[in-house]
This record gives sequence, C-alpha cells and structure tokens, in this order.
Amino acid sequence: MINFQFVRTSVIKTALGLVSKDSKATFIAGGTNLVDLMKRGVTAPEKLIDINHLPLKQIELKNNVLHIGALVSNSALAENQLVKEKFPLLMLALKAGASAQLRNVATVGGNMMQRTRCGYFYDTTMPCNKRQPGSGCGAIGGYNRMHAIFGTSEFCIAVHPSDMCVGLVALDAQVVLASIKGERKINFIDFHRLAGTTPEKDNNLQKGELIVRLEIPINNLNKNFHYLKVRDRTSYAFALVSVAAALEINNNTISNARLAMGGVAHKPWRLQLVEEFLKGKPATTATFEEAAKLAMNGAKGFGENDFKLKLAPNTIIEALTLAKAKA
Amino acid sequence: MAEIDKNQSGDTRRDFLKKSSLFTALSLTPLTVLKAADQKVDERFAELFEKIPLNLKVNNKAYTLKVEPRVTLLDLLREQLHLTGTKKGCDHGQCGACTVHVDGVRVNSCLSLAAMNEGKSITTIEGLAKGDELHPMQAAFIKHDGFQCGYCTPGQIMSAVACVREGHANSKDEIREYMSGNICRCGAYPNIVDAIHEVKEGGKVI
Amino acid sequence: MEFFIDENDRVDGIEKVTGKAKYFAEYQLPGLTYGVLVTSTITKGKIIAIDTKAAKNAPGVLDVLSHLNKPSAAGYEQAGGSPMKIFYTDQVFFNGQPIAIVVADTFERATYAASLVKVSYEKTAFNTDFEASIKDAAVKKLQGAPPYVRGIADAYKTAEVKVEQTYKMPVETHNPMELHGIIADWGVNDKVTVYAKTQGVKSTQNTIANVFKIPAENIQVNSQFVGGGFGMALRTWPLEIAAIMASKQLKKPVKLIITRDQMFTMVGNRPAAYQKIGLGATKDGKITGITHTAFGQSATYENFTEGVVNMSKFMYDSENVNTNYYVIPLDMGVPIWMRGPGEATGAFALESAIDEMAFALDMDPLDFRAKNDPEQDPSQKRPFSSKYIKEAYKLGAAKIGWNNRKNKPGSIVEGSWQIGYGVSVGVFNAGRGRASVKGILKADGTLVLQSATSDIGPGTGTGMTLIASKLMNIPVYKIVFELGDSSLPPAPSQGGSATLSTVGSAVNDVCVALKSTIAELAANSNMDATSNFVDVLKKNNLPMIEKTIQSSQNNPEAKNYSMYSFSIHFVQVKVHQLTGVVKVNKIVSVGDSGKIVSPKTARSQMVGGAVGGIGMALTEEAILDNRYGRYVNNNFADYHVPVNADVPDIDVIFIDKPDPIVNPMGAKGMGEIALIGFAGAVANAVFNATGKRIRSLPITPDKVLEA
Repeated sequence: MINFQFVRTSVIKTALGLVSKDSKATFIAGGTNLVDLMKRGVTAPEKLIDINHLPLKQIELKNNVLHIGALVSNSALAENQLVKEKFPLLMLALKAGASAQLRNVATVGGNMMQRTRCGYFYDTTMPCNKRQPGSGCGAIGGYNRMHAIFGTSEFCIAVHPSDMCVGLVALDAQVVLASIKGERKINFIDFHRLAGTTPEKDNNLQKGELIVRLEIPINNLNKNFHYLKVRDRTSYAFALVSVAAALEINNNTISNARLAMGGVAHKPWRLQLVEEFLKGKPATTATFEEAAKLAMNGAKGFGENDFKLKLAPNTIIEALTLAKAKA
Repeated sequence: MAEIDKNQSGDTRRDFLKKSSLFTALSLTPLTVLKAADQKVDERFAELFEKIPLNLKVNNKAYTLKVEPRVTLLDLLREQLHLTGTKKGCDHGQCGACTVHVDGVRVNSCLSLAAMNEGKSITTIEGLAKGDELHPMQAAFIKHDGFQCGYCTPGQIMSAVACVREGHANSKDEIREYMSGNICRCGAYPNIVDAIHEVKEGGKVI
Repeated sequence: MEFFIDENDRVDGIEKVTGKAKYFAEYQLPGLTYGVLVTSTITKGKIIAIDTKAAKNAPGVLDVLSHLNKPSAAGYEQAGGSPMKIFYTDQVFFNGQPIAIVVADTFERATYAASLVKVSYEKTAFNTDFEASIKDAAVKKLQGAPPYVRGIADAYKTAEVKVEQTYKMPVETHNPMELHGIIADWGVNDKVTVYAKTQGVKSTQNTIANVFKIPAENIQVNSQFVGGGFGMALRTWPLEIAAIMASKQLKKPVKLIITRDQMFTMVGNRPAAYQKIGLGATKDGKITGITHTAFGQSATYENFTEGVVNMSKFMYDSENVNTNYYVIPLDMGVPIWMRGPGEATGAFALESAIDEMAFALDMDPLDFRAKNDPEQDPSQKRPFSSKYIKEAYKLGAAKIGWNNRKNKPGSIVEGSWQIGYGVSVGVFNAGRGRASVKGILKADGTLVLQSATSDIGPGTGTGMTLIASKLMNIPVYKIVFELGDSSLPPAPSQGGSATLSTVGSAVNDVCVALKSTIAELAANSNMDATSNFVDVLKKNNLPMIEKTIQSSQNNPEAKNYSMYSFSIHFVQVKVHQLTGVVKVNKIVSVGDSGKIVSPKTARSQMVGGAVGGIGMALTEEAILDNRYGRYVNNNFADYHVPVNADVPDIDVIFIDKPDPIVNPMGAKGMGEIALIGFAGAVANAVFNATGKRIRSLPITPDKVLEA
C-alpha cells in the first residue's frame, strides 16, 4: 500500500472541497471495504479524506420520511427502534450482511459504495474490466458461480454484494448526494448501475459527490415481510441469491408488494413488474410460483451459475411464503 | 493528524524533491498502484516519509505516537506497541482474530487505519482482566475449553464480551449468529457458545 | 496465578485467554526487520529478469533477495533433487511461488516495496486441471502406492448386488488461523535462532541444518505456541528458508509472515481426489468384493502420496479386495497431509458406497456395517489390539435417536425442510514413535517434564501433565511440561495422532524411573517405601533428581496386532426443499481410541474434528482457474470454513476402554478419527433426507438443487 496522505475534517464543505480538487483523493468512512481493496492493490488513492467526523449520523423521522445519515453504522441502523418498527425488512437485510464487527464500522454510505467480491476483480494479475477497463472479463468462461444472471454485459457479470441495498431498493428509498455545487436527490434504484460497457462504474455518483443521507418514505410493508439470503454457509458469507419481499395482504388478497433480489445482478435487482403482477392476486403458493416465473424473464446463466436460474425463483417463492406467514 | 492547512504544503515538498534526482530511476510495474504513481512520483515518495501524529488510549494508557497513515490499528498494536494478544488471521476483515473494542464497540482492527482512531479508547485482550483476576468471559472460556490452539481466542473473547453487552446473547442460536464473525479453525464453537451462554445466564454485568 | 477450575483444564489456558501466549511472530528481537515475499504471477516457466531498482530505492528497504543474489546455502549447491530449492532456481513450478523476498524496516514499507518488484518471465504451457488429467494418469500408471489385491480383483462385478460409483473431492486448504511464517536470526559464528510455526521443532532444526550444512546444535528452534497446523506445519517450507537466507545476508533478524492468500499456494493443501468404488454383496448383505481406485493430486517438482485407499483393505470383511492409487503431478504447489489426511478422503468414498449398498439391499446401514464387521484385520490376518466398534454403533445410535430414522429417503418433512440421518465410520492407525522426556523432580514438590514435542492445539502439555499427575500422585498445578524448544530431549513431529502415544509413553517411563529412584533413596535412608518424594529428597539433601528416558517404540507384542483408533459419526441434517441449503442439526461422535487420558481436551478434539468435517462435507473448496493456474477464492470470505452458526451442539461419547497393547496408558490418538468419516455421514444423511446422492464434495445448495 502506498503511503497516502490522510486528512480529517468535521466539516462537510471542507471534505467536498478536498475531494473535488484532487483526482487522487477519496473519502474514507468505515473503511471496511476500501482498506481491504487498498491492501490488495485493487485501488490506490493517494489521499484519504476521513469523513467519520462529519455530522451525518442522525436517524430521524420527518414528515413520514425516515432520514438516515450516511455515516450511520449498519449496526446502529439495524438496532434503531424506528427501523425495527417501520422498516423491519431493512433490519433483516442489514443483519444478513457481514459480521457484527463489520456492521459496527461499515456505514450506510460505505455499504452502498461497496465493490464486487468477484475473484478476478480482487486479483490484480487477472483480467477484469471493472478494475482495469479493457483487460477482459475473467469470470466469463471462468469461475462464475457467484455471478450475475440479470442485466449482464459482455464486459462484466459481477454482482453487487450488499444485502442492505436490496432492502433499500425494495423500500423506495432515495439518496441525497452533496457536492460543492449543492445537493441532489436520486431514487435509490437509480444509484447503482448495470455494467454495460463501463463496468468500472458501479454507480452514478459523480466525482466529488458524497452520499449524505437516505430518505425512506413510511409504508405499510412492516407486517408481511421477509429477507431470505441463500448462501454457502449459515452466516458471514455473500449471497448466492437473496430476496427481499414485503406484502400488504387484505383478506388474503395482495394489495401491495415489494420484491427485490441480491446476488443476481450488478445492482440490487428490483422486480417492479412482478410487484404489479402480485397486486390484486390471492396470496397463495400458486400466485407466488407464477410471480417467481415472471421474475426470471431475461435471466441468463454463464455455466457455473446456471443453478441460479432455479435457485432464484425458488428463493422468491420461499421468501413470499415466509412473508405471508409472518403476520 | 495532518491538519488541513498543513496539507497544502505538498507543493513545497514536491518542489524540494524535484530538485533531487533521488527517485528519477523509478521503473514502473503494470500494477494499479504504480499506474496511480505514474504522475507526481516525487510527491508520493515524499509521503512515504510522512508520519502523522496520533493520540489514543489503549487499555487505559494514553499514547502519543507518530504513524504512517497506512498503518492499521492491528499492526500498530502488534508491531509498534507490542500488544500481541490481538491476532492477525486474515488481515482483511474475514476472520475476527483481530477483534478489539474501540470506544466499547467490537471492530476488526485489521481494517481500521490507526489514524482513524484519533482520540479513541481501545481495549484489547490484555486490558480485559483486572490485574490477576480473569474477566468472567476468560474464566468461562477456560472452564468450557473454548479454544484449542488459542490463536483466535483473544478475538473470540473480545467479541464474546461485546456480544453479551450488546444484548445479543439471549439464546444459543443468537450467540451462534452473533459470534459468526470469529472463525475458529480448531472448531471450538460449541464450547465457545457454552462459555458465552453461561456468562450471560450468570447475569453478572460484564 | 493459580487458577484451576478443575484438573482437566488446559495447562496453558490462562496464557491463551489473556493474550500472553506468544506465537512465533510475537517475539521482540532487537533490530527486527520485516520480510515480504514476491510471488510468481505465471504458472510455469522461467524467470528472465527481476527488476528490484524501485523496490530497493523505496524508503526503509534493506535488500531484495532472489535466485540472482541469495547467500549461499551449501545444502542446495548440488544439482537436482527434491524439495524445491528456493532461490536456487529460475524455474517457476506453480503460480504464487515465492521468487524474491523484500526486507525493510517496517512491515508496511516491505509490503509496499514488494509491489514495486518487476519480474519478467518466459512462460511455458502448464496443466493444473486435475479432472482432465485422470485418464492420462491411469494410462501412465502413475502409482502412488503399489496395487493391492486380496482374493479376486474386481470381484464386485459378478456379485448379486453391486454398487459402482465415483466420488470427488476438491482441493481443501488447512488454513489454520495463524498465518505461516518465521522469525529468523542468523547470529555470529553461524548460530541460528528461529521462532517457527512448526509441528516439529527437531524436524525444523534438521531441515535448516541440512539446507545450510551447519551443525544441528547451532540451530535453536522455538515454537512454544502454534496457532493451529492441521498438517501444514509438518515440514519446513521454502519460504522459511528464504527468511533465514535474508537474515544470513543482512545479519539482522527477519520476520516473515505470509498473507492469507499465500496460505493457499505455498504451504500445502489437501489434494483433490477422484475415487471409484466398486462394492459387491450377496442379497442377504454379505460383502463379496471391494474395489477402490483413487486418483490424488501431486506436484511436478515434488511427489506427494497419502493413505487414501488404506481403509478399504480392512474395515469390512471381504474375501476379495483390490485397490489402486494413482497420483497426478500438476503445476501447483505440493500438497501436504491435512487433518485425517488421505484416510478422510478415502472414508468419504468408501462410507458413501457402503451406504449406497445398504440402500440397494434395503438394509439399515448400521446393520449392514455390523454384519460385515471383521473379527480380525482381514488384510493382516491378525487381531485388532482393541476394537469396540459395535458398542460404539449402539451408543451413538441411541444418542442420536437412530430409531427415528426411516430407511426410505424423504420420509421426514418439517415445513420446507426434509430431515435425514446418516452414519459413517472412521479409522486411523494408532501409531507410536520414539520420544525422549526429561523429568526433574524437585524438593519443592514440583515436577518439570521436558520434551521437544509440539502443541498445535490438541493440548499436549495438558495430556502429559495428567499422565504424570496420575502416576506420580502430584497435583497438575505442580507439574510443568515444557515443549516447543529444540534444545529439549528429542521427540518426533506432532502428526498422525501419535503424540499422546509416543511422548506419553516416554512421560510414563520417566515417571516410573523417577519413582523407582525415589523408592531406592527411601530404602537407602531407611524411609518407608511409600514416603512422599519431597520428604525423601529432603532427607537425602537433594534439591532435585533428574532422569531422561527414551521410550521404546513399541510393546514387543505389538507386531502381533493391528492397532487402530475408530470413530463413528452420526448426524441429523435438514435440507431445504426449495433452496437446497443443508444444515447439520445434530451430531453424535463416538470415539473408540482406548483409554481417555485428558477427557476435556479429548472431547474438544472430537468436537473440532466434527466442525472440520462439516467444512469438508458442506462448504470447503479451493477453486483454481485452470486458464491462469490461480486460485479465485483464496481468502476467508470466499473459501468457506464453517462459522459458529454452522455448528450445532455436539455430543461426544468415548468408549474409554484401554488398549492393552499400544502403550502403557492404553490410550490411542484421536485427532484424525475425529474428522475421518464425518463427511460421509453428512452425505449419507442428505441422501436419507432427500433421496439425492451427492458424490461430489462440498454439498453446496446448487448441487442439492440440481441433483
């Protein structure tokens, strides 16, 4: 690791200024992913701006919208009473990720910025278009058991590794971004990108921008919900497939639904068409099976991850079943 | 810490170094790190010499140090403060052997830059017992044989204490989940769970 | 601090729970420097050039050593031979091979400088593809062991009922929690001190002596605490020699700790295996033929073999048995025995096939095993020194609730989960070597025992202390057992479950000798023969007496017996019908390993073996991209060793009956049998739960789903 410069500030404006004028500078919050990547030589910023002291750690309910500061730790968010009551789906997603120690340090903003776990991305001697554009994709034709089945491109089939983000995309969250020019707000679903021809870009954050907070509108999806993560061991492993499911059920009829998947795409994979399909249908296994089938439209395997074409719909069925059974 | 104003002094240093031909012979490798170094090589080397001040407390002892920004909390503890109870198992936040408490919260010290801990209070395994009296969790680990080789043990115990304090030790299954960030290759897990369960059921404030 | 909750607690427990236990990397030597390895990024070929200019110019860097500028290691000067001579070759044998070491004043500076070393290569074609090479190996008859035939070869083919299947296992890595490495301090007059991570301090001492052609007594090896080994620390690896060379060159102590990803390439692994089992039986369940053909993996630059097919020769009573074992040399780092070694690999295949046969015969797999349990060792035609496997079947079956098992797969469903039960046996040679122990009995009532043995975790000191305590009637807290120091009386490396038997026998013998000396002294000074040794020593004005004894290797009777430890593992699993996730719900492991000397640590060994077995069965697989020859999951996030949440409560039962032949304690080793067989029990339980037979480990959700 190069001996980068280290600068700390407790003023948002100062932090933004420092990064905007220095192309080799980057923010560090929890550091649980960035330090890992720096140790592996995947990234090598020359200046780190420590933003842990910025005033971005509040969780507040304002006008039926939950505001979550970008520096709130994953643990603090999962343990927050408002989150437990209003967005228990998010709580489950958070607790499915990483380990207690990592969640204590990893921040909301950092979790969103988390990079893929693809082995080719992490090994600087192997090809990876995400790490080194133009070098090729090692996973296509290689080890791709963990990789994407939706929205892939010939340049990259990596998946976004977050669980939290799967919960957030299902909850219609919005992201507030700040730069020296001011703030802008985008839908969470538009934050992460598909790989396309530019897999080096994980998201639509502009250079010099900082995630400052999330906003989640209150909903009625806190009764019938489930986050189901299928992985190779019981805990502390990335998802093969995960499903965030939430339903509003009246007289066994689904009036509202949210469905998103993790471990299947370059971004948290929201299934809005399937949600529309579910609305007005009876909350039965038959409905769930049809929904799962619909969810797989456009899915494509790459050999070792072909099993996801079966695992993904099955996981949707099980998550919806468990969500329904929750009440 | 590098003060923000002081941070602007890079130009001076760069100018100074440009006058010396010390680093002109640097040959670059295709590694990403070196690509980043393609420009401003001299400045980057200047930074290599740079250490920043760091004040923190470890086991209630105050330290005033100078560290390179790239030094992790784990390496600071082990290599500079010689507090080797905290272990390096993977160096990437994937095993929990390096678990310490920072301001009372359990963290992987391998992924924490020492410089990020300015003003913080660190507790390591060496700071858990009160003198000769073992912490109840340490005693319980001995009683239940919650280890074999002992290498993951300090991390397990620091994590276990936090697990109880957090309120995540209410059942054996909850303990299993909340202790899954600490890998034990000898496979002492059931004994570790028994130890934590007993401390929790003992009801003592730990 | 005297802190013993009971006498069975680990003697080094306090040091381990307080962080005071010092592992190799934790010794503070004046002027300590840090080594970091540069490793090959090609799989096979030749190093053309190493550009170290940038690295050498980087701050804090003291030197960069490679084959181009290493100091002399006299033992490496002759051409040819094995093992790989680090820095004495420009050849690259595998990807990730250490090819240079950068030494700097701090760890961070050495790490950074290592990234600046630029290497150019001449690449040649390579082969890391195990499965694709199997056919070739059979044709070339690359034998890892002589073929074995008893009765008629391939007799299963003509049996009334037959099972013929193929079983696969991937590369597994030992991955002890402690990273490998060494502190090397080459002092004046070629006196060398090392702090090593080793399962054998004498072995490390001898290796260093041979490589550098200096007298063994010049070399001091310290290894008091070892953070796990599981076999990978049974030899001195080239990287350790690199650090010693660096210390020799720089005249400074060098600390080298390798990284977790390097733990996958340069310190061995459990080789991949491909096994074919043919089983024949009569309709009423008598085995008539066993054919076991195994392919293992080795390296091109060193050979490696292990006992994959051993168990098939004697575990079941069959007139006809034949085995073949081939090894396939690949362009990968050489393997090394990993806990349960080849026997665990073989047991998975044999015990899966046994279960398949029981199912084919519509028999309870326990009944089938019992029916074919040999009275004596059919391969050697001699009795077992002790064997209580049928009693073990009964105890384990009762504990797990075997009577709840249905022979028809898929019979038990709870919600989305299918429940199944499985069983498998394990067996391992109860070896015993020679060891020396020095005993110092002191007038202050304490006993010091010394031997150059190791403790990689099982609790060597605890076991030895308990043996001595019982014999000498001295409380455990007054006994100190010193180990991990090459200057102590010699003992073999810790491996093959032989330490308790080997070193324990020497402890036994030295205690007997000390007692006899005390008795003589008592008689000579007109004291009662039962007098306390403290009184006897005081009466004789002796501060202490010392004895050093080398134990014999065997009871003379031993050659007339086959000596083995046995285990039987019972598991209950649940398998999710939609996701294919397998969870082990219940475990009962029964150990038949003679008398239990140290009940608490023995239980922990069995528990640990079961946890390792869960890894082998369900999660562990080192995946290599054969296009590049590099591992793609070489870290603890992607190579899944079991975590706490994977492991249920584990019941351990010991037969605890002494073996009358093996050694004076009647105790046999158990580190290996704790693991051997376990994976088969899980695979068999998955079949019982689902009707799906997974013959390729690990049993991950995708395999269950697609079966």
